[in-house]
Amino acid sequence: MSTTTPTAPVVRPPAPKTSFLARFGWPLGFFAAGVLVFVFNQWILPETSTEFQNGFGSWLPMTAVNEALIWAIFALGLNIVVGYSGLLDLGYVAFWGIGGYVAGWLMAPFANQVHPSWANLSFSVWGNPLPGQERGIHINFWLVLIIAALVCAVAGVIIGAPTLRLKSDYLALVTLGFGEILPEVFRNGERVGPNGEWNITNGTKGIIGMDQIPTGPFQYIPGVPETIGTFDLNLKFIVFGLMLALAMFVSLRIREGRLGRAWLAIREDELAASMMGVPLMRIKLSAYAVGAAFGGIGGVLYATHIGGVLADRFNFSVSIILLAMVVLGGMGNVWGVTVGALLLAWINSTGLGQLGNVWNDVTGAEVNFASHNFLVFGAILVLFMLFRREGLIPEARTRQVLQEPERGEIESLGADMEGTAEDTAAEGGKK
Amino acid sequence: MGKPVRALAVVAVAALGLAACGGGSDDDSSGSGGGKTLVIASELPLQGSSADASTDTNNMIKVYLDSIGNKAGDYTIQLKEYDNSTATAGQWDAATCTANAQKHVQAADEVAVMGAYNSGCSKLLAPVLNQDPKGPMLQVSHASTNTGLTKAADPGEPELYAPSGKKSFARVTTTDDVQGTAAADFASETLKVKKCYILNDNQTYGQGIAKAFEDRAKEVGIEVVANEPYDEKATNYTAMFEKIKATNPDCLYVGGIYDVNGGQLLKDKVSVLGDNETVKMMAPDGWTGYPELDKQKESEGLYATFTGLATAQLEEQGGAAAELLKAYEEEYGSAPRTNYALYGAAAVQVIVEAIEKSDGTKKGVRDAVFEGEGITVPAEESATGKEIVIDPATGDTTAKDVSVLIGKDGAQTFVQAQAVE
Repeated sequence: MSTTTPTAPVVRPPAPKTSFLARFGWPLGFFAAGVLVFVFNQWILPETSTEFQNGFGSWLPMTAVNEALIWAIFALGLNIVVGYSGLLDLGYVAFWGIGGYVAGWLMAPFANQVHPSWANLSFSVWGNPLPGQERGIHINFWLVLIIAALVCAVAGVIIGAPTLRLKSDYLALVTLGFGEILPEVFRNGERVGPNGEWNITNGTKGIIGMDQIPTGPFQYIPGVPETIGTFDLNLKFIVFGLMLALAMFVSLRIREGRLGRAWLAIREDELAASMMGVPLMRIKLSAYAVGAAFGGIGGVLYATHIGGVLADRFNFSVSIILLAMVVLGGMGNVWGVTVGALLLAWINSTGLGQLGNVWNDVTGAEVNFASHNFLVFGAILVLFMLFRREGLIPEARTRQVLQEPERGEIESLGADMEGTAEDTAAEGGKK
Repeated sequence: MGKPVRALAVVAVAALGLAACGGGSDDDSSGSGGGKTLVIASELPLQGSSADASTDTNNMIKVYLDSIGNKAGDYTIQLKEYDNSTATAGQWDAATCTANAQKHVQAADEVAVMGAYNSGCSKLLAPVLNQDPKGPMLQVSHASTNTGLTKAADPGEPELYAPSGKKSFARVTTTDDVQGTAAADFASETLKVKKCYILNDNQTYGQGIAKAFEDRAKEVGIEVVANEPYDEKATNYTAMFEKIKATNPDCLYVGGIYDVNGGQLLKDKVSVLGDNETVKMMAPDGWTGYPELDKQKESEGLYATFTGLATAQLEEQGGAAAELLKAYEEEYGSAPRTNYALYGAAAVQVIVEAIEKSDGTKKGVRDAVFEGEGITVPAEESATGKEIVIDPATGDTTAKDVSVLIGKDGAQTFVQAQAVE
């Protein structure tokens, strides 16, 4: 920044609550839950009866858990853009797609098909291709994670740049546009360039044959294989869990720093923030970049999770569900967003169907609950907006803002400024 | 404000807890008498646009299993229906396909998978089932017609779907290339057209079949003006057909499925290019078996190819297929809403045959199809009215007959069989 260094001592925000539970309760809780899930699935579940395994598998299969972790990473990425910086983004699915295709290009045999002259291309950087699939480009999974994060960060800046002059609804519309354009590019990217020679996405056929995840030095631990194969779901859980932990850690640390406080300032009042010397352009772009980087990491994980990249997946409803995760969980609160994302992802994969089965068993009805997914989501959203606008586990700051009486309302009613928020809300409702 | 929410939360948590205790026993094993119970899994999109077709396919399989008394040799057979769609996606979902694949592998009593309906889903399922440590696990699809699943198409195919080095994917339908080729032959030999315009719906299936038609058409001397995708979201195609009209083709081939805005496409084709007598219009089996299509007056004279025999033909011909259809109508009150229902039953026939020949393990069932002489279902038993022979080397069926249908008085009637060499 070009501002002169202030001579006065730096004013620090009030020191955070210091009680042990307040500081470490959440991270330790998540860690314990993770260990519990792993220990249970790795050692206890195989010892139980087949019936219990089947029953448990229909409620909480490991694939659903792993998928939920990936959703949580995306939700945390979106939380930076929407929750921290207050920039409504309806096209976040674009970054999921870009991350996925980076994986498709760099860790699958697909690169052979990109251009006729690349047919004999075979390139590997500590890659771990599936047996018999050594053609194409195979870069180590861990490197691809970094590359995808960088590519998505750049994409975030590119997408973010033209939207900077816009606010609220207009911004949402432009991001929605990008979220629609990129999936179309993926769907139609089979024959592009002069003579349609370039095949950048393989169209709706998608890219299949993702490389495996290498375990690196951990393979010397007994029981850990050299690469994490298709059926090592518990090991994948550790990898995905670590990435989620990283996303949470980064979210939390950035929030405390200068950048995070600038984001919050923009969210609360853009004009005031810029008056205070916050460079709007740079701060907003960095929000897009950091949020998109999370999307890139999640995209690569998702590609290895399902073993391929398929264009049909990247549709508008994904952006909406991610937004619902952020809003329901508690915008801006990392713990809330994570819990919201895990919960909604589970409901979306197995939860709603299973709860529906129970309902049908108990009442004798024959309702296909899974197909009323959006109805249920919609109802939950409405209920939350009525009774708990700040989300499941709100950020302290959001709660304050939401519970503060709105000035215009009070003035117009001539209400007592000292009145409690609830009184004011009640009066507002009477109008 | 806080109290009702807390109360709600308590209720919700309690409901969840109850549900967790009460549930979990939804697959009851009813195999009490006789031999071991083995499970065949069906892998279909039960929500979204293909929901009706999938439900009918599952029902047809149940009708078939009832007809053989749910027995294969000494084993009792049970069908377990998997859903590979999500309501969110409104169609099959990649993550669900992969998750289901894992479940098939983990389920100890499941020996084979019937499906998937969508080629894209099969491409995700096949490699996972193939790597089953107790397998490979047999997969027999009734509707995944994408060429690459069993034959060389894109680089790396079909080995990509058999990472273990042993094949485990079989199917009872012919592939897109066969059907496209047959359609081009029919166009040149019978319709004697000279200049074709090709449209495709830009999906895996539609592109594949349009490409096959294009390649063969060029070989047999039909001029191909273009092969291009149409926009599935367009509200009308008048402008597109005006452009096509300027090139003056005498035939239009549409590679795709009717679901992809086919009604509008057909309507605008007839209004701009003229009826199907003036400019011949042809489509693949993705345009068969739709009551809405038959009702549409523009479908008069529309040629459609179908891999195998159409339902009406099978009823006339008698035999196993007719009996199945009869039993189905008795049970469910109407004919199945998709031609693929009978193919679902045919795929299960292959699996049942394999189970009979096997030792009841995943590996044994797979080996019965892919080792030795393979599986043969004789014509009089087959649900498709034709002998089904699965080639152990590829997993493809040897039956390559394609029938040509024509839209006539609100129904698709049989014109001729188009042999494919």
